[in-house]
Amino acid sequence: MARAAHPEAMAPSKPGRTRTAPPQMPPKFPMQGRYRAYTIFDATGLVYLLMGFGVLHAVRALGDGAAAWQAVLAGWANPVYVAFHLLALASVLFVGVRFFRLFPKAQPPRIGPARPPPGPVIHGMLYAVWIGVSVVFVAILAGGIFR
Amino acid sequence: MPDIHMKKFVVTRFDPDREEAPRTETYDVPCQSDWKVLDALNFIKDEIDGTLSHRWSCRMAVCGSCGMQVNGEPSLTCKQAVSELPDTIEVAPLANFPIVRDLVVELEGFLEKLQRVKPWIIRAKEKAVEEGTHRQSPAEHEEFKQFSMCINCMLCYAACPVVANEPEFLGPAAIALGHRYSIDSRDEGAAERNEIFRGEGTVFSCSYANECSEVCPKHVDPAAAVNQAKFNAVIDWATGLVLPRGGRE
Repeated sequence: MARAAHPEAMAPSKPGRTRTAPPQMPPKFPMQGRYRAYTIFDATGLVYLLMGFGVLHAVRALGDGAAAWQAVLAGWANPVYVAFHLLALASVLFVGVRFFRLFPKAQPPRIGPARPPPGPVIHGMLYAVWIGVSVVFVAILAGGIFR
Repeated sequence: MPDIHMKKFVVTRFDPDREEAPRTETYDVPCQSDWKVLDALNFIKDEIDGTLSHRWSCRMAVCGSCGMQVNGEPSLTCKQAVSELPDTIEVAPLANFPIVRDLVVELEGFLEKLQRVKPWIIRAKEKAVEEGTHRQSPAEHEEFKQFSMCINCMLCYAACPVVANEPEFLGPAAIALGHRYSIDSRDEGAAERNEIFRGEGTVFSCSYANECSEVCPKHVDPAAAVNQAKFNAVIDWATGLVLPRGGRE
């Protein structure tokens, strides 16, 4: 048998006359079948949390002077950090692709008199914006703009 | 003479008068090649063990009565072919629902949620009969048609990880039906429903696992409805903040 769900899941507000057995979780949750992708999607939040701490640390080092900043840069060259950054990149790609796949159908058919564009157009627009923003960031980091 | 294949059915059994918890029982069933899982369950009940309880009615994926977990997947047993499954087939009651007996689950909680979203056309002022019917264009009908195809089979509830953990959550089918009426051009009750959607059992509990849509046998896409309802609930809330009388006429 699967694990127990919340004992009140889908229970009526007043108990019926017949005794019931408690509800069970979906048997494949959380790591079998399609649930695996959903669980990984949610777990990427932990990667972003750690990444956020890393950014805060770097910003603080910027205020502490050149030596502190150089120490942060040296830390980023550590293989563990490189591996973590690769994991963060994979997480962003995974979440981005999943989110972009699901986003178009979450648009209501009308917002007042305006209708959103068809799903494939929204899909294409999301990828175009993603690629555009990524190019701008790469240009900034490479010193191409804002020197 | 149709081909016969022996299949092993591991079926959940529970007698509330005699047993503390559900158990499983195994039956060897000679299945014909064109059988659905429901045919095998009916064979078990008719020929092997008359005490087995399960719900069914139409046998053509319309009534929504025969939803069960088949090898862990929420399925309409009248639609799921036995030939597509391995030699051992596990049949259990729908996940996330209290079990009344064997494969029968408690529906009352679902019906209460369904009623809460006011799944009917709400008018500020009823039209007099002499004024004729409410007119609706094919394009307006098309906007909600998909969400009106729900047969209340509750497979979406059995697949939803949020339903399993948040008893207050209204759930996919109820929200889809409420949303179906909110976007119906004849309805004027969207604001009322948006308040319900933002209140207890809020649509924002949905984390867009999309499992409801994956298992929906009628391609209603309840995940789309739930997330469209989120969007409308936010727009309605924001409009209420900035416009006089909450933007209501």
